[in-house]
Amino acid sequence: MIVLKDVSKRYGDFTALHDINLEFTNGLYGLLAPNGAGKTTMIKMLATLMRPSGGEILYDGKDIFQMEETYRTLLGYLPQQFGFYKNYSPKQYLLYLAALKGIGKKEALVKIEELLEKVALPDVMNKKMKKFSGGMIQRVGIAQALLNDPKVLILDEPTAGLDPKERARFRHLLSELGRDRLVLVSTHIVSDIESIANEIVMIKNRQILYKDSVEKICQTLEGHVYETSIKYEELDAFRNRAILLSEKQEQGNTIVRFIHKGKPDVAWLPVTPQLEDVFLYEYRDDVDGEV
Amino acid sequence: MLRVLWNEMKKIWTWKMLGLLFIVNLILFFLVIEFEIEYFPNGRPELDSYRIGMEMIEKYGIEMDEEDIADFKQVYEAQVTEADRYLQARSEFVEVGWDTYEKYRAYDPFEHPEERKEELDFQLMHEEQVDLFWELQERERLIEFHDWKEVGLESIIADSPEPQKTRYVELLENRMFQLYPEVAIRNFDRFIEGVAATILISVLLVVSPIYLQDRNRRLLDLQYTTEKGRALYRTKVLAGTLSSFWVVTGLLAVYFVIYAQNKTSPYFDVPIHMFIGKEYWYDPTFFQYIVLCTIGIYVLSFVFVFLAMGFSTIMPNYVALIGIQIPLVIWMIGDGFNRLLTGMIDLWTAKWMVPTVYIVFVIVSVGVMVYLSKREKKRDISM
Repeated sequence: MIVLKDVSKRYGDFTALHDINLEFTNGLYGLLAPNGAGKTTMIKMLATLMRPSGGEILYDGKDIFQMEETYRTLLGYLPQQFGFYKNYSPKQYLLYLAALKGIGKKEALVKIEELLEKVALPDVMNKKMKKFSGGMIQRVGIAQALLNDPKVLILDEPTAGLDPKERARFRHLLSELGRDRLVLVSTHIVSDIESIANEIVMIKNRQILYKDSVEKICQTLEGHVYETSIKYEELDAFRNRAILLSEKQEQGNTIVRFIHKGKPDVAWLPVTPQLEDVFLYEYRDDVDGEV
Repeated sequence: MLRVLWNEMKKIWTWKMLGLLFIVNLILFFLVIEFEIEYFPNGRPELDSYRIGMEMIEKYGIEMDEEDIADFKQVYEAQVTEADRYLQARSEFVEVGWDTYEKYRAYDPFEHPEERKEELDFQLMHEEQVDLFWELQERERLIEFHDWKEVGLESIIADSPEPQKTRYVELLENRMFQLYPEVAIRNFDRFIEGVAATILISVLLVVSPIYLQDRNRRLLDLQYTTEKGRALYRTKVLAGTLSSFWVVTGLLAVYFVIYAQNKTSPYFDVPIHMFIGKEYWYDPTFFQYIVLCTIGIYVLSFVFVFLAMGFSTIMPNYVALIGIQIPLVIWMIGDGFNRLLTGMIDLWTAKWMVPTVYIVFVIVSVGVMVYLSKREKKRDISM
């Protein structure tokens, strides 16, 4: 079990995370927040790449920074951006990392074959990585994170560069992995984790906003999410009445999905809140800013 | 551990790096080394100086006593007689009044220039290149050095400050005079400075990218979260040091094999204070001096290897990495090797200076690596 106790991270005068308290046991966790919210900072602290400015991170009661290689032996990590040697093949690259992970060469060769099969790259095992697409590189990255059969698997934006088919395959792989280990997936793409995460962690204003199941988080907007059809010309006026979540054109009209916390209009159709609704609602300023 | 080390070595020793090393060495060999091999001894009288030196070692061994000196002078006298006969047999020389070597030698082209004598002198020395006359000049120089050695040392002692004076007195009291031609040792000095410059540039090429390339490729996140973790930094230090050792040893082996063509080995047992020219604080033989320079090259190379690895850790890009090393390399090639390698035991460099510089260099370079290694264990890997 990993516990974050009063964890803060400051860069000079800027506070990225403040007094974070979290507990992770086995299962799949989605760390959901817009870019710049501190996801990567938290992930890097959990991966021992950054030290907290305050508080501590414990694995089974022991400080992960004091555990040193004992903790890292349990860890599988896929960074948001990671490097590789262009002239290495996936096999050479994974063998290089296997050596760093303390895995014997024979054992590593078997594992590498198995993992490249799992990420659908067995045919290019010996091809130089400089010719690979972004998605293929990402899949090699996923394979390397699994090399040591980690008890703690941390993935930062793992689906970047993957096509829809690969995303689906990856989701399947993640839910399989999450059965007997702690998997933490950081993402700003709700659909990556909505259907598979046991719990979602959302960060807002440098602190934890939610750490709960998808259902419970969605319940926070229960009764406030609606859909209705309006004329395109009415859209601007409608924005002043409600918080728009999405809009799509249909037969000359605009179907809008929105949040309204006051008395609803009779023409509005109440709908079940989705995680994406909560995400868009909670981060509406950040999301607008990003757009 | 060994597999990780081997992997890091493989990252350094790419075909690209080997090719680069080959090209750089080829260029630097022809720029700064080849001349000392191809043109040794370089013309005359250096050739005669070299030959007479060889003859002296063969005949008198590595030290000359008074009996040897007397013999050397006898050889000179015999050659003078031979030169007399040579001149007398040539009517054109007799015609201008050069019927003895003494008369030929007494000609002063500056005080009383004569066109015909100029022509004959040029013919004898440069067109016909008569060995006898070149050798006689060199023998005269050596005899003169010998005859003036005590007077020369005494006058130097009178003008020298301490502690050089003490060393000169020691040389005089122990009768450690300069007697042998300096052609071999000066050639070695220039050769080894060229070799040192080539080796320095080679090792810097090999180790400079060691940290920067992985950092720029964003590999640290993956490397530092493995079991090996940040200890990889120290493994890279080891990989860089071992690779540099190979480069230094390999290049020294190659260049010393090339140097063997100069055939200076008969001089190896001669104590360096016996060569005309510089004075030294200590009395190693020529061979021991070569060993000393070799050790100096190893130490200085490792100092710069550690500094280069330090720069590789902190510099943001290759331009900055090269930029910061250029002044150091220029200084070493322009002046550093002259002072710290071939001038290591020069009498006119303070006795404490070079050892102190070496100690400071070693402490600073090792200190930099220890500091950066400790910093690497704790620093945030934000990029």
